[in-house]
Amino acid sequence: MTAGRKDPGHGAGDRRAAILAVLLAVQALCAVFFVGDVITDFGRVGLDLHTAFEALVALMLVAGVVLGGLEMRRTLERNQRAEAALSVASGAFVELIDSYFARWKLTPAESDVAMLALKGFDVAEIAGFRNAAQGTVRAQLARIYAKAGVSNRTQLVGLFVEELMGGRVHNAV
Amino acid sequence: MATEAGNRPVRIWDPLVRLTHWGVAIAVLLNGLVIDEHALAHIWIGYVALGLLALRVMWGFVGTAPARFSAFPPSLSAALGHIGDLMTGRHRRHDSHNPLGALMVYALWGSLALVSVTGVMMESSPFPAASDARVEQYETREEDEHDDEGEEILEEVHEVFANLLLLLAALHVGGVILESRLSGVNLARQMVTGLRETPRSRRE
Repeated sequence: MTAGRKDPGHGAGDRRAAILAVLLAVQALCAVFFVGDVITDFGRVGLDLHTAFEALVALMLVAGVVLGGLEMRRTLERNQRAEAALSVASGAFVELIDSYFARWKLTPAESDVAMLALKGFDVAEIAGFRNAAQGTVRAQLARIYAKAGVSNRTQLVGLFVEELMGGRVHNAV
Repeated sequence: MATEAGNRPVRIWDPLVRLTHWGVAIAVLLNGLVIDEHALAHIWIGYVALGLLALRVMWGFVGTAPARFSAFPPSLSAALGHIGDLMTGRHRRHDSHNPLGALMVYALWGSLALVSVTGVMMESSPFPAASDARVEQYETREEDEHDDEGEEILEEVHEVFANLLLLLAALHVGGVILESRLSGVNLARQMVTGLRETPRSRRE
């Protein structure tokens, strides 16, 4: 039923994290270079203004890498939380649909057809999925609309959109 | 319909873990097996490896939960327990490295740290200038007599631990293959995609 659905969260958030990781790697490389340079310079000429400043630069770079890392962890954790919330939300939405279907007393076959209709498949496609004649599917859809108290597919979808928006605009129209 | 959440792949390795892992792997292979040890590139690659290691160690303190040291403490008893689990065909889920893998990780990092730090110390400055004169000087230096005893010890440590590192890396690959076979979880793919897919037959 969920064929072709993309796993959420594999998008922009992941790409941003990957770019951050590369940036951090380059920064870490620079930090290691500078720390090494400071140590050799210190061994060679001791603490003068130049090495002191270089040490400061190196320290700041290391601090930058650590802070960048902390920021990246926050980004990753936020992504993960959003992903979890989304999966809970989509699970809750399916539950909501099921509860409507139960309230309308749809038969298992009708529930299946109704779900496919909600997902946007047309009569021919639904008939193909279910190995049924198109006439059968049309009759099932008519019964679903009757049980749900709507007159067409758009209104059926509208019921759930309304629920999603959390408002009861139905009476106002 | 709500069971979909059950077999969703779990995120385990974040991008930084994967980047440092494969970066270090490539660097070790290149420097250990491919690139001539007297080439300038050898030094550059060594620096990259050290930089990646430093980043990974930093990430062990501030990183995501599976990447932190606290998620895979070095423990001999846990490692022995893990071997027992494998022998008896029991598969326990680990949210980070498995205990045996954790020991390998620390051994690899320790060797890599020694190899890269001694490598850096063998150079008088972090990078020899890339000018032709310096490169030539660098390349011909091997023929010079080493007057410094300290440098010789450095070279010795560098070489011994470089060989140990390659040996450990080979063992690491063997361990990954074995663990993947026994547990049914493809660990190598997990390190590429960062996602762990629990095999259907073995969910606990």
